[in-house]
Amino acid sequence: MTEPTLTPVRVEKALGLLPEIEALEPLRALLVSISRPDERTLWSSSGPYLTLGKRGVQPEELRHRMPQVFHTITEHLQGLYGAYVEALECQQRADGTGAVAALLRAGRSEERVARLNQARAWYDVALRLSQGLQDRRPEVESLRSLGELFTGLGQYAEAARHFQRALAIAEAEFDQAGAVAACEGLGHTALALGQGVGARAWYARGLRLAEAAGDQRQIGRLERYLGELARQQGEATSAGEHLRRARECLEAVDATEEMAALLNTQGRLEAQLGRHAEASRAYREALAWVQRVSRDAGLEVTIRLSLAELHLEAGRFLDGEEEMRRAEQVAIADNLTGRLVQIYTVMGRLRGRQLDETGFVFFEQAIELSRMLERSPAAVAQVYLEYGLFRERLGQRDEARAYLERAREIFGAVGDALDRDRVDAELQKITA
Amino acid sequence: MTRVVPPELSAAPPALQHKEGWQQLRILAVGAEGGGSGGLLQSIRQWVGEGGTEIESVPDLPRAVRQLGAGRWHVVVAVLGESADEDLAWWVDTLRGATAAPRLIAVAHRPSMGLVLRAEKLGVLDVLSLPMSRDDFLRALRRVRPTSEAAVTLPDVQPHAVGQYALVGQSATMLEVYKLIARIAPSLATVLVQGESGTGKEVVARAMHLNGPMASGPFVAVNCAAIPENLLESELFGHEKGSFTGAITRKIGRFEQAGGGTLFLDEIADMSLALQAKILRAVQEREIERVGGAEAIPVSVRLIAATNRDLKEAIKQGRFREDLYYRLAVVVIRLPRLAERGDDLLQLTSFFVRQFGERYDKGIRAISDRALDLLRNHAWVGNVRELRNVVERAVIVATDDVLRVEHLPEEFRGEEATLPDRSEGALLTLAEAEARHIARVLAQTNGQIGAAAELLGIHRNTLTRKMKEYGL
Repeated sequence: MTEPTLTPVRVEKALGLLPEIEALEPLRALLVSISRPDERTLWSSSGPYLTLGKRGVQPEELRHRMPQVFHTITEHLQGLYGAYVEALECQQRADGTGAVAALLRAGRSEERVARLNQARAWYDVALRLSQGLQDRRPEVESLRSLGELFTGLGQYAEAARHFQRALAIAEAEFDQAGAVAACEGLGHTALALGQGVGARAWYARGLRLAEAAGDQRQIGRLERYLGELARQQGEATSAGEHLRRARECLEAVDATEEMAALLNTQGRLEAQLGRHAEASRAYREALAWVQRVSRDAGLEVTIRLSLAELHLEAGRFLDGEEEMRRAEQVAIADNLTGRLVQIYTVMGRLRGRQLDETGFVFFEQAIELSRMLERSPAAVAQVYLEYGLFRERLGQRDEARAYLERAREIFGAVGDALDRDRVDAELQKITA
Repeated sequence: MTRVVPPELSAAPPALQHKEGWQQLRILAVGAEGGGSGGLLQSIRQWVGEGGTEIESVPDLPRAVRQLGAGRWHVVVAVLGESADEDLAWWVDTLRGATAAPRLIAVAHRPSMGLVLRAEKLGVLDVLSLPMSRDDFLRALRRVRPTSEAAVTLPDVQPHAVGQYALVGQSATMLEVYKLIARIAPSLATVLVQGESGTGKEVVARAMHLNGPMASGPFVAVNCAAIPENLLESELFGHEKGSFTGAITRKIGRFEQAGGGTLFLDEIADMSLALQAKILRAVQEREIERVGGAEAIPVSVRLIAATNRDLKEAIKQGRFREDLYYRLAVVVIRLPRLAERGDDLLQLTSFFVRQFGERYDKGIRAISDRALDLLRNHAWVGNVRELRNVVERAVIVATDDVLRVEHLPEEFRGEEATLPDRSEGALLTLAEAEARHIARVLAQTNGQIGAAAELLGIHRNTLTRKMKEYGL
């Protein structure tokens, strides 16, 4: 006889039992990644509202997979300890550049497992060390790493300050690659702060430097950024031209991930122009590029979300939902909690378009998940903004206003003027 | 690019009753050039001979996507890489979005039985191993040609309209349900609707509301399983502003919203015991309290509850309150599974075809006999809801007035091999049959080994060993 099988424990309950201790973070990640929807739930009336919290997890499977997690943790720690010893050895040999490189490697390793505060600690040490060196390229690299970290955290002013310093030093030292990277970073922060003109100037400056160095990959990437910016500003012809040039450069050097990102931008442009078939083709090709070499789960989720939004725009809700469910699967398997927040926000928007009140569960799940993350407050504000619009669509004005005001407050605090203005416009519509 | 006609294909049955009527078979070979594939492209070209078939070769998936976007292809022959399982999933995903839904022949170095079974489930035409044999390839290719499909006119259906929903079907089991609804709808009795997922519990609840004394009031449905546990209480009973984090405004709960009408509590078994106690109180005392509020608010609602679980079993396990069960189950309506409803399947198919035909502006009037056989042969775990989804998808992709096999989802095309009249259907070895059955059970239990072992009646260690053996 076989032993009776117990019902899986719901993730919402399982997470409720897990204290928010940093050391348990890998266990939380494992729990999420092995969670599964119950077959019965898939076709039940709650199936369309299935979120991470309603998936199930078997404690036995968790126990079975734990050695794998311990192995990953050990490997990660070995990497960190190794990097530190290597930095020490470099110090011993008076090789400051090597020591900085080892410390930055440790920081990146922390970033890969979403330990952003720990990554920052490594980068801070690297920066301090690099400031005493004669060769200033390690300092540029340290500043750039910090700039990217702050961008990821949504602290754009702080990010810009680091990129500015990196650029000044790189130009003084004729470090062209460092200068291009700093320009890219400055372009991103300007864009995030809604400063389109500034972003364009930074990308264009980076492009000139990359062209002078003849680096096709960098040229392609900057052309893509300029294309994306032009698209966002409604300049379709200019966007198309930038993207065409980007494609020429990136295809020539077989830059797989860059090609995927480029085709995703191309898809967005086509969608904006109402060319849905072309947009769909671009997204499908983008996914094929993601698959070709090393699968980048984050990029895959981005493209699948673009495709889902395309379906939603065309009123193909069934296809849109399927694509979002695929994105959700990838995000859960790869522990991309931040992406899950985005996915559930779009799912909530879909239910709003169907005037389905129960769709609020997606926003609640997105808010719950975003609380667990060390991430940009602007991302949380986006959830509140969409939640407000959802309530507004259902005619629930008081609740809509409350969520929009919360979004406005957060956008204001992080200096995101563009989105704050957007929220203001929505609030005015409700009041009118 | 080469154009050739395989003699075997010319000898195959003509393209039968297919509107598209292939003049030329178009094959896209991917990754078939170079050493890794053992000169596969050259072999394919030799095997299919001269004339009538167009073969084009591309090196990888991105280039294949471009080709697929540029025209209509009937077959894609794709050489899978080292991660064959992952590659297969990508291919199926890619082809789902391609024009004319080309069929996939996956080629792999030493494919495992697990890969073959997964491929079959995903509707892949065939999985062939490298080095590939001429006979295997041509047999697979013959299956691409459309088989004979005769059109069956869809019957006119007179549904019992329930607002935007409808009760469809004339099977004996459904007639009993209709009679019961007619008897109890005029009363205010609390009703428990039981049935598997997708059998139409909410439609029945709406029918009772519309035919009952509270019909002029609202019908408010709450899906208890969909709502996070910590929010369900406030969703049902409402809350006062500031009563908990996130209570940003005062909220009127569903009990109050349903005042003078019907409150439908779907998936009632998915509720904590604490909340069950509060529901019991609301049912008994006909009053509720908002979360964070002190005032008792009288409510006048007709309560209909539904579940897909066995509540008596849940009571035994201590997961459901017995007193609440008897309060809710004053009258019990049990809905049959789709498989128990006989020819209601055709009626429902017809109803959904017309419903979605109107929505997507398609004038579909018939279904092919083969597609209908596939629908009848399907397990329908999701009952009517699953059928509705399948028909909606088929209607979206249909291009003329007949729904055919090619319009059904890929997994149905995979099930085509199980239909009795397939000439290519080879007899299975005992190991193959066992592996297929295990794969089916695992799919049913959503990969849960313990549950699968229980269903199969073997120890989980035996099952784990067999899964390893068959590469599942």
